[in-house]
Amino acid sequence: MADVVFDKVNKVYDNGFHAVQDLDLDIKDGEFLVLVGPSGCGKSTALRMVAGLEDVTSGEMKIGGRTVNEVSSKDRDIAMVFQSYALYPHMTVAENIGYGLRIRKMPKDEIDRRVREAAAKLDLTEYLDRRPKQLSGGQRQRVAMGRAIVRSPQVFLMDEPLSNLDAKLRGQMRSEIAQIQHDLGVTTIYVTHDQVEAMTMGDRIALMKRGVLQQVAEPQEMYENPANIFVAGFIGSPPMNMALCRLDREGDSLVVELGSQRLRLAPGVLGEQPGLERYIGRDIVIGIRSEDMEDAALTKDAEHAITADVALVEALGSQIMVHFSLDARAPKDEDSQLLAAEQGDKETAALHSDEVRWVAAFEPRSRVRVGQQITVTVDTERMHFFDPETSAAIRD
Amino acid sequence: MSSGMPTPATGAAGAADGRALGDGPGLLDTPKQPVQLGSAQGSWFSQVGWRHIVALLAVAFSLFPIIFVISAAFNPQGTLSSTTLIPTGASTENFTGLLERTAFKHWFINSVVIAAVAGALSMFLSALAAYAFSRYRFKGRRPGLMFLLLVQMFPQFLAMVTIYIMFTRITELYPSLGFNTWWGLIILYMGGALGVNTWLMKGFFDTIPKDLDESAKVDGATHTQVFFGIILPLVTPILAVVGLLSFIGTINEFLIANIFLTEGNSKTLAVGLFGLVAGERNNNFGIFAAGTLLTAIPTVALFFALQKYIVGGLTAGAVKG
Repeated sequence: MADVVFDKVNKVYDNGFHAVQDLDLDIKDGEFLVLVGPSGCGKSTALRMVAGLEDVTSGEMKIGGRTVNEVSSKDRDIAMVFQSYALYPHMTVAENIGYGLRIRKMPKDEIDRRVREAAAKLDLTEYLDRRPKQLSGGQRQRVAMGRAIVRSPQVFLMDEPLSNLDAKLRGQMRSEIAQIQHDLGVTTIYVTHDQVEAMTMGDRIALMKRGVLQQVAEPQEMYENPANIFVAGFIGSPPMNMALCRLDREGDSLVVELGSQRLRLAPGVLGEQPGLERYIGRDIVIGIRSEDMEDAALTKDAEHAITADVALVEALGSQIMVHFSLDARAPKDEDSQLLAAEQGDKETAALHSDEVRWVAAFEPRSRVRVGQQITVTVDTERMHFFDPETSAAIRD
Repeated sequence: MSSGMPTPATGAAGAADGRALGDGPGLLDTPKQPVQLGSAQGSWFSQVGWRHIVALLAVAFSLFPIIFVISAAFNPQGTLSSTTLIPTGASTENFTGLLERTAFKHWFINSVVIAAVAGALSMFLSALAAYAFSRYRFKGRRPGLMFLLLVQMFPQFLAMVTIYIMFTRITELYPSLGFNTWWGLIILYMGGALGVNTWLMKGFFDTIPKDLDESAKVDGATHTQVFFGIILPLVTPILAVVGLLSFIGTINEFLIANIFLTEGNSKTLAVGLFGLVAGERNNNFGIFAAGTLLTAIPTVALFFALQKYIVGGLTAGAVKG
């Protein structure tokens, strides 16, 4: 087991594409780090550089304190699980799992013992004599896992290992992989584009965008304190509701002009985030999570509230997702545009730019119906503020 | 074939059903009209029957020369004019004559050894080249591939004069690699077959997911281990195809072998058998036909031995599915 350090690591492809830019990342011994981001953000490239399957253009890549820039894959003592599983079709499950050990010329009975041990851990014992094509997707995935754990390597690398499974199996394997990693305590780098996997599996999440690391934090921390609009929009489902508005002062409290409405912020907001002072009288991007809004009929709080027409209601049982439009401006910065493109948001594209669609999570007691005009209480103390140009979060 | 053909009765029933469905209203208008058996037979022929005729013609077309050669081989008179499709008399005289009066045994061994060694070596060499071309990105990869293709476009005998001059010198300096030797000819054949085989194999190598190589590398395998342990077992179908093609190409090759091999016992089958009918008279076509029949044996045997490898689909299940 070992720590993995990226020190100003860059990757520039021959065609000039800068896939990873100045990546600084310190992954602790035994940590489960999830590299997440939209496709083409450089996360897989970063992983493949750890594996030694891509050269490092500049910077230093260290595993367990040893610089591995010039060390070939086979000497790095790592194991990798591929998205396609990459099982050897001409070998049985047992041979697949034991391949790395055979290559290392381990005694036969030792290989056998280790393969059986790994197979038992993954419920594969009865399939040891089968070939990959006789297995289901989930079983193949397990064999790929088995091949990684049997070697007890210093680092596990996983490249979207669950993306070929159906939703149910994915949920199951998610917890299984997390459990195995926890039991073995092996440093793990896990690449995914699925923010749910990132939130549920990782000790920490590293979010990348266009080759640049955006934020590294524990899942809850990243959810609650996103560093910028991109992180805020990428982490969380449904994504954070955002709008571009004007910030004003009214008496001793702040007010945002949300289209034709004015939303009064709680008095403590300015005290907690004095940085907002600079934005008074200017545009600002506000963000609010779905669960931080509630049906005003239940909260009896109309002071920090907005009104809207309900466009869609999704009852999930434990909560009710209420979609509504506001005549506020949509943020125009690069991050917001990237997010819209990423989510392939046809709804947003169809809407005017001075209309935003928000989703609120109401309690199931709420009796909201489609078409109804409702008042929504906003927990303004939990509101996020971002700079409309740099898209960075406004803290302190 | 007859088992695949429906009996006239079921054929008629099928056609009647088809008519009933297709011309439903028409049939209702004239309910008493019986279904014509003749027209039913006709529709069976237009749907299925003609395919059998085509198949029979094709089989007859391709079997005719083989049957004629077999007939000639067993014809004791040994002339073309006395040979008919159905042999008039049968004797093994031609075969005994071939084995006793000519150096057929030497030619046979020469041919099989040269074809086997050249086929196997060129298969291996082109597999190595194809692996490099398929997996690595290096300077000159594309020009290299193009060059291989370009060289193939010139007919082999263009190089004949050069080869002759080269081997005249080689025979002087290293007689064991020169004219009338196995190795000389094997080296020549290997070079000739490399281009096509490399292209053929590269195409197949490209279908093996690169993830497999990478996975093996991370598992600790060297390039050599990846090649022999992972890639080669997965490309056996193309290895078999290329091996078979090189073997057939080599064992049938006449032009170069005819220049290269001049001494009686060093000839290959193609050169030796041609010698039997190259004279202006006294050509015994019976012996020649017997020789060609025996020549087919190694090729057919190799084909049967390799047949099970020439089925693809080994790579299925390597990745998701």
